[in-house]
Amino acid sequence: MSNEVTENGVSRRTVLKGAALGGLGLVGGGTLLSSCGDDKATGPVTFTARTNDETGLKIAQALADAYKAETGIDVTMQGSGDTNAFQDGISQYLQGTPDDVFQWMAGFRTNFRADQGLLADLSENIKNLGDQMPEGFISGATNPSDGKQYIIPTTWYPWGLHYRKSTMKELGLDPENIATWDDFMKLLEGTQKKGLIGYAMGDKGGWEAMGTFSILNVRINGYDYHIDLLNGRKKWTDQATIDVFNQFALLIPYMNKNFLDISWDGMRDLLLAKKCGAMMMGSWWANDFKAKSQEDYDDLWIVPFPEINPAYGRDSIDAPVDGVSVAANGANVEGGKQFAEWIGSEAGMLAAQAAGDTSLYANSRLDTSEYDAFNKQKLAVIGEAKNVMNFLDRDCRNDFAGTIVGPAIQNFLKAPKDVNKIVDGMQEAWDALPPLE
Amino acid sequence: MTTTAASKKTRRRRAFSRGDRFTLAMFLGVPTFLHVVWVWIPAIATIGLSFTYWNGVSLSNIRWAGLANYDTIFTASPQFYDALRNNTYWLLWFTLIATPLGVLLAYQIDRKIRGSKIYESVYYIPVVLSLAVIGIIWKFMLGPGGLVQALLGYPEIERAIPIFSNYDINTYVILGIASWRHIGYIMLLYLAGLKSVDPSLREAAAIDGATEWQTFRKVVFPAMKPVNTIIIVITVIESLRAFDLIYIIYGTSTGWPILGMLVFVNIYGQAASMLGAAYAVILFLLSIIPIVFYLRTVFRDDVA
Repeated sequence: MSNEVTENGVSRRTVLKGAALGGLGLVGGGTLLSSCGDDKATGPVTFTARTNDETGLKIAQALADAYKAETGIDVTMQGSGDTNAFQDGISQYLQGTPDDVFQWMAGFRTNFRADQGLLADLSENIKNLGDQMPEGFISGATNPSDGKQYIIPTTWYPWGLHYRKSTMKELGLDPENIATWDDFMKLLEGTQKKGLIGYAMGDKGGWEAMGTFSILNVRINGYDYHIDLLNGRKKWTDQATIDVFNQFALLIPYMNKNFLDISWDGMRDLLLAKKCGAMMMGSWWANDFKAKSQEDYDDLWIVPFPEINPAYGRDSIDAPVDGVSVAANGANVEGGKQFAEWIGSEAGMLAAQAAGDTSLYANSRLDTSEYDAFNKQKLAVIGEAKNVMNFLDRDCRNDFAGTIVGPAIQNFLKAPKDVNKIVDGMQEAWDALPPLE
Repeated sequence: MTTTAASKKTRRRRAFSRGDRFTLAMFLGVPTFLHVVWVWIPAIATIGLSFTYWNGVSLSNIRWAGLANYDTIFTASPQFYDALRNNTYWLLWFTLIATPLGVLLAYQIDRKIRGSKIYESVYYIPVVLSLAVIGIIWKFMLGPGGLVQALLGYPEIERAIPIFSNYDINTYVILGIASWRHIGYIMLLYLAGLKSVDPSLREAAAIDGATEWQTFRKVVFPAMKPVNTIIIVITVIESLRAFDLIYIIYGTSTGWPILGMLVFVNIYGQAASMLGAAYAVILFLLSIIPIVFYLRTVFRDDVA
């Protein structure tokens, strides 16, 4: 533990030092960069975990320690601080003095930066992983504009309705059998009648409620419509889109009233404290339940969002792929690539698992038959879907998802009556976007 | 004649020794250089970039966009008008309520009422905190699970009442928090000014039978003209440049949009346009008006 603290201190200082040197001007910066390029792949590697969460940092540190034990190469791990700020500022971060390896997300967020030359090409490393990396993950990690991979997939998770088995049992409700929207409404009503929050919501971050919007859209209008909408081929002002918002409005009475004052972690805490029934979210934070106690973790369950339009059934799901990327501008690109490859390999994933990571792994060597019950359920939830989405802010360009869709959904939750005005604004904003290059 | 004039000139030039010239160069040159590098070049670059599409990465990707970014802001960004409205509220609140309150406090304290030192310290304490710290303090107090929530009888997170996200009250809450600091700041500035007003002016007014209010309005207030100008300018600039408090409380999700926040979220890495730069230029133009007003007054006073 004390070791971890010192390592954090050192790496932060290094970052500050880099910033100070950069401030001295182009000459200093140039020397710094060229001297870094000479480092051998055996040199020390720096690693940013995309989290400031205790459990997440512990797992990232375990990866660093295991790599050091196996190869003798030093890895300095640090947390990203506020994850939203890290994600928003990633382009600036990668142009500065970034760590060599960082945890990142597949989809637009990777491909856009790859096109700018900010990420190192990891195609070779994906090839090295061979049959450990299933075809589906490779294609999910492939940048459509050049056919290369810039992220090594490590874990993924489904977005679904999470609940605590014990709570539902006490309430006498059966979430396993919510096949239709009416069943779902009855479940929410039943939960609320017993004084609990029916549908937990915390949308302070602006992205949390996107999950509900996406699942409603694919349930009502189908996967193709959803992807078309996010890429401008369908309109926000279409009646089909407005229908989705109107369906969303039906959930608002079952939400906690302070949904814009709390974030996703507030929702998690509500579930942890048995204060809510259903929580629509990706399951990545299951680690936090496990960190609290095995009992809490065993109590956690996930089911798919119910069917609305029989034409589409439950054929789509948000199941984002996370992974590790290597900064093209890092001090030790070669070493970073090797570490990233190792993280994606069986050895890396086993190290994460041993440190308490409960994720579903991309690596095919990890035996799914050894998964615990919750993970098996997660796989089943993903498995029944035909179409897999990356989540709204990875399926859509960032200068629309973050700056337009997020606030628009927040405004909608506050005043669902204004839906027409809100979709008008969204469509205007989309139409005004410059083409991506 | 000409020779004497010339030799006089040379002599005057020589009056600056090498040391003097070095000192002058350092005191004028270094700040000027830093100012140009850190203020003027970025400002001019921002103005230039506001007419382009650029993702902020490679210089070769900059494309001319003409007025497209401004067009987007004025015609396709509903948030812009929300932000303008919030900044206007902020400005009106500070001008009509917070600043006069600060002036009133300063005036009362200056009259040496009992315990004036204590009042002075109490009102001044928030001023030493940055708005970011103030945001953190009030977020903890008013947010779910906070002290105020507990006092109101809603200690549990799930029952906590929405404060920051309640559109009926959040404007007042934010402006109240901002005033907490602003009032003390204005009080201190005004107090310093009041102390420099010649007491004989007041005595003369009192002898002539002026009431307290008449003395302030007709004698003290006009005598404080330079301080008044500074306070007006500070009030306007503080209202327009507001950012940190909102960022701490709402993050980048623009729960209570203001212009400073729109600059930030639109320039911060994700965009393919330079919308953020255009917002910055708009904010710059709005701020430059009080600055010009301020500089004009200051220089006129210097000349006189």
